[in-house]
Amino acid sequence: MSARADTVGAHGDSLWSKAFRKFRHDRVGMWSLAVVLAYAIVALGVVLGVWATDWAEVSGPKWSPASVEYWFGTNIIGQDIFARSLYSTRTAFEVGLLVALGATALGALLGAIAGFFSGTWIDELIIWVMGVLDSVPFILLVAAIAYTLQGSPWAMHIAMISTFWIGTARLIRGEVIKLKSLEYVEAAQAIGVNRLMIIFRHILPNTFHILLVQATLSFVAAIKSEVILSFLGLGVKDGMSWGLMISESTFEVLAGFFNNFLAASVLMFGLVMAFNMFSDALQDALDPRTVK
Amino acid sequence: MEVLQYIVRKLIAGIPLVLGVTLISFVLIVYFGPDKTYELLGKNPTAEEIAEIRSQLGYDQPFTTRYLDYLREVIRLEFGNSESTDEKVSSILARTIPTSLALAIPGFILGNLLGVMLALVAAYFRGYWIDKFIMGFAAVGMSISFLIAIIGFQILLSSSDGLDLLPVRGWDTSTPLQYIRYVTVPTLATVFVALGYNTRFYRAVIVEEMTRDHVRTARAFGVPPAQLFYRNILKNSMIPIVTRIMFSIPVIVISGSLLLESYFGIPGVGKVTYDAIVTGDQPILKAVVVLTAVLFVVAQLLADICYRIVDPRVSLK
Repeated sequence: MSARADTVGAHGDSLWSKAFRKFRHDRVGMWSLAVVLAYAIVALGVVLGVWATDWAEVSGPKWSPASVEYWFGTNIIGQDIFARSLYSTRTAFEVGLLVALGATALGALLGAIAGFFSGTWIDELIIWVMGVLDSVPFILLVAAIAYTLQGSPWAMHIAMISTFWIGTARLIRGEVIKLKSLEYVEAAQAIGVNRLMIIFRHILPNTFHILLVQATLSFVAAIKSEVILSFLGLGVKDGMSWGLMISESTFEVLAGFFNNFLAASVLMFGLVMAFNMFSDALQDALDPRTVK
Repeated sequence: MEVLQYIVRKLIAGIPLVLGVTLISFVLIVYFGPDKTYELLGKNPTAEEIAEIRSQLGYDQPFTTRYLDYLREVIRLEFGNSESTDEKVSSILARTIPTSLALAIPGFILGNLLGVMLALVAAYFRGYWIDKFIMGFAAVGMSISFLIAIIGFQILLSSSDGLDLLPVRGWDTSTPLQYIRYVTVPTLATVFVALGYNTRFYRAVIVEEMTRDHVRTARAFGVPPAQLFYRNILKNSMIPIVTRIMFSIPVIVISGSLLLESYFGIPGVGKVTYDAIVTGDQPILKAVVVLTAVLFVVAQLLADICYRIVDPRVSLK
């Protein structure tokens, strides 16, 4: 029997307090969380205008090496790579958070509806939509949505949300099918609780541990997709991102100047790696089968 | 006969999926897609000329009529000619798909084979340093963007700042040696990135199988480890492995190499698709989207048949 958020586990505490304790003792997990938070502070500083406000200014000589003034050097037209890296961190968080929230919310909603009405036409319809969206090549979908929205800067976000929700929805659907045959749900149905109320108040909160992990996975997937889409010219339109920095740097790399490429790659690697490890630790902490 | 019936039934069951994909591609690429009217007109067109072109393009028809026309073209596999080169779409695909396969297959095979092998080693030494080392390597591979891996290997192997052994970009398959020279950097990048995900996935599958009772029993009866791994574990974990491999086929045939091909300038389907995206070449986009969907249905079918081969308990019904 697995402990649920609102039932009492074997040791008298809930899934969440147990997970929290497990996570606190997970050194890798805590360190990766610290790294993610450090990145988040950098991103927040950019949003509040504390630093990297001059990311677009052409202030220095072309390709100056790392120095006290330009920590990571300057790019081909003399812009400060450090400021641009910080600004790109903000972009990464913006894309990651929006897509993770959107995809997880949509996945939870449609997955729960499909699971609750499993075996009916509603379920079939949602499964069909998932299959269809899965069969459209991702980059083509992004391009097509960009056409439809006539080059809106949100085309990339919308395209990612419209494919990333599927994985979450499949998991939630399976979990809801399992949960809806439990006694407390049957009891709620028997006393005539409204069906929407059952889905959203009684079933969905008990899938929150899956949603949390899925959100971290979508965050990472969004950051990684952004880099490739921006490189192909389908991603970030205005502003600066790691993908655009790498795209700029392909000429510089051939000329033997690596600062731009390294700054974007290393920073992105750090965030993705930390987030991946955070996600793993979270998964371990929330898995009732693993014992401390 | 039973198998043939099964195949037909499965293909029919795939029709709603393909219909859905055609609907999406029609809505996004054609209906709300770029307006082609003014590209076909001369300077200073009159109102009548505009109206004529619009009716030629079918823009004055209602949604359902236009969609049904589109569907008719798809069913007859008439994708027309490319709008930028005027070559027939079918001949473009026939020319470019082999190139994409030649590019993608080595990386695909190596990525999966090495993935299963590393996963077996990691699972066998579960909890020991070698497992931690392999899984750490997988975590690093998963965290490196494909793009960065491509550029990284290019710098290492093809630039004057690295070893300078292989061509920087391009494609040549005239001799086997040339093929190997051009395919190496893209393959290394693909394997490096895919290996992380594959190893992790396969290790999870194998560990799951390892903890089952029948494996414990076999071990207790003194079955040697090599035989245990092959007969009791690997064979039983083939279903998820086959599923993963089959479902990545449509992606690698059609669009998986989009980034590789456009980066290295390799004339495969990915490059053609990318160019079609940039120029808004609808006939090519239409063909690529529909073919991918059909391949997904076929992959599903092949996966089901493979289940039967790897696990005789599965019946094709």
